[in-house]
Amino acid sequence: MPLPLFILFSALTLGFAVAVIANRNPVTAALCLVVSFVGLAALFIGLSAFFIGIVQILVYAGAVMVLFLFIIMLMDIEEEERKHFDRLRTAGGIAVGIGVAFLIGGVLWDFDYGKASLDDVPVQFEAAITLREADADSGIVRSANATAALREGRLKDVALVGEKLFNDYNLHLQMIAVLILIATIGVVTLGKKDSPAPDSGSSGGDKASES
Amino acid sequence: MPAYILELIVVGLGLILLLLESFLPRLGAKGLAAIGSVGLLVVLFLLPSVTGAPSESTGIIWKFYSADSLALFYKGLALITTILVLMMSVVYVPVMQRYLGTGGGVGEYLILPVFTCAGLMWMASANDLTSIFVSLEVVTIGFYIMVAYMRRNVGSLEAGVKYLILGAVSTGFLVYGIAFLFGVTGQTNLDVISTVLGLLEGQDKIILFSFALLLVAFGFKVAAVPFQMWVPDVYQGAPTPTAAFLSVGSKAAGFIVLSRIVDAFLGDHGVQTGDGSYQDQIQRVLLVVAGATILFGSLAAIPQTNFKRLMAYSSISHAGFILLALACAYPVRMDMASGEVVAFYLAAYLPMTMAAFFVLCIVRSSRGEEEISVLDGLGKRSPFLAFVLLVSVMGLAGIPLTVGFLGKLYVFQAALDQGHFVLLAIATLGAAAGFYYYFKVVRSMYWNAPSDQDAIAVGTGSRVLLALLAAAIIFLGLNQGIILGFLR
Repeated sequence: MPLPLFILFSALTLGFAVAVIANRNPVTAALCLVVSFVGLAALFIGLSAFFIGIVQILVYAGAVMVLFLFIIMLMDIEEEERKHFDRLRTAGGIAVGIGVAFLIGGVLWDFDYGKASLDDVPVQFEAAITLREADADSGIVRSANATAALREGRLKDVALVGEKLFNDYNLHLQMIAVLILIATIGVVTLGKKDSPAPDSGSSGGDKASES
Repeated sequence: MPAYILELIVVGLGLILLLLESFLPRLGAKGLAAIGSVGLLVVLFLLPSVTGAPSESTGIIWKFYSADSLALFYKGLALITTILVLMMSVVYVPVMQRYLGTGGGVGEYLILPVFTCAGLMWMASANDLTSIFVSLEVVTIGFYIMVAYMRRNVGSLEAGVKYLILGAVSTGFLVYGIAFLFGVTGQTNLDVISTVLGLLEGQDKIILFSFALLLVAFGFKVAAVPFQMWVPDVYQGAPTPTAAFLSVGSKAAGFIVLSRIVDAFLGDHGVQTGDGSYQDQIQRVLLVVAGATILFGSLAAIPQTNFKRLMAYSSISHAGFILLALACAYPVRMDMASGEVVAFYLAAYLPMTMAAFFVLCIVRSSRGEEEISVLDGLGKRSPFLAFVLLVSVMGLAGIPLTVGFLGKLYVFQAALDQGHFVLLAIATLGAAAGFYYYFKVVRSMYWNAPSDQDAIAVGTGSRVLLALLAAAIIFLGLNQGIILGFLR
């Protein structure tokens, strides 16, 4: 990825991320978030992660943001009021922010691997093929098609991501299934509306009071 | 049977309970809790028979999942905790009903712990940064819901929001730390990371930085100073069974993961050299955090008048003792590694805390308050409850002949062996303060005049369970070999 492009898209991402926080109008803030996501997607694509870049746009900038806007419109969230923070607190917040920025800067400055130039990060086809063959030998599922494509110098990244997700990280996938189930239960129970008259047959909890 | 089947059974049990709750509403809270705890008991009995990774390991799952003795031990702790929480919830149901409004049921409150238990068991086995993150989120999301469950109660909602926001921030730190660690090592498996870190040279700054970020995240989970601000408010606002679950289940899982991470960072750096290497600095940071946690927890507990807040501060101070054990890495007396001292302390902490919260649940459902003054004259009104609470606070304070004493003893021995004398002094001060604030509870029960004379009704099931817990506190205190036997 050429350095000027990297700087451009990073600036886009960060600048609009700041605008999300700074804007008091929720709709404007949400639209700024869309632009920030687009910048991030461009960064992904610049790093040869094409699939993730596209997903970033389709899912986050598309679907998720539409949901966000829907909720903002439906709930009729008004412009946030101007809040007054006392000087000491503002100064403290800024000081902490600057301190952390210096800390991260200092840490990264001393980090050797971070000194490689952005221009020379090619996709390492050779290394990937060797690794995949070793994995396939030790009994891990590795798609032959994707390996063949790698040999021809093509990056079948949808196949590669799918393979990682559904083979290597299968356990995590199952865990996330449970996580989403828990979240769903939570949304339903915490968001339930009070029914005007208690309906005795509708849930176990009503009965529980009698037991 | 491979170990990962256990979690599948627990998740399956949760799904069955969900179906039963919708299609057999007659079951009620008691039925759900009974089926849930019997199912978890079965899993508990299956626990010793599971096998770890086969030697000719080919399954990719073993890259993310370990089933060593420590993992199995913590799985057992998670299961026992969840069973007790389910029992406690049944007692607490009448209190909750008041705050649920007409549309809410308590059914889900009895099912969420089962799913959370699966998450805790995954955490016990997680030896890869990715599985640590995902399992931790499973647990945390479950807790967000359980804390805020009494949705008509302002305190519960406030606690839920506080826990949610601070929890999200700590997750942010965790991900950031994982990203830095991955950036340095290019690996996510903790064993491999440990090897790679041993080979790196001159990267101390970034290694320390990633450890600091991870420590912030787990400091939040285990309630270490200075990341303990949420603890008192959340314990006070949350339903009492959830507070108990948080203080034992969530803390134990946080500590197993933290100790695995600390082990990965310290590597084979066995002797304490004080050479300024990053391992040495990590130990020093842990010692400072441990000392601050013990001091803060013990001193802030002294003026408390609310029993749950008192338990919250005492849980902070116990976290400090456990961190102290963790900081004294490397084999101490009796061939116990620091991981084993930590596990022993948590196993000892379980029956004591659970008994205290259980008694509180029973008192709360009859009196509707949670101040310490509500215990006034409990010794005359309900001698049994008072006795169980007496045993439990004796254990928490660390009086000899209880299991709590042994837990503290091992920590003190570890600190002594490593020559951390300042920390020893702080720990002694903390333990002494503990005697004082736990004694407030005892004084209220046996010396203060009762405000009303009615005995508090205790069901047979709760009576048996409380008796078992009290017996466990004393029996395990007399036979230290039992817990150690399970550990190996």
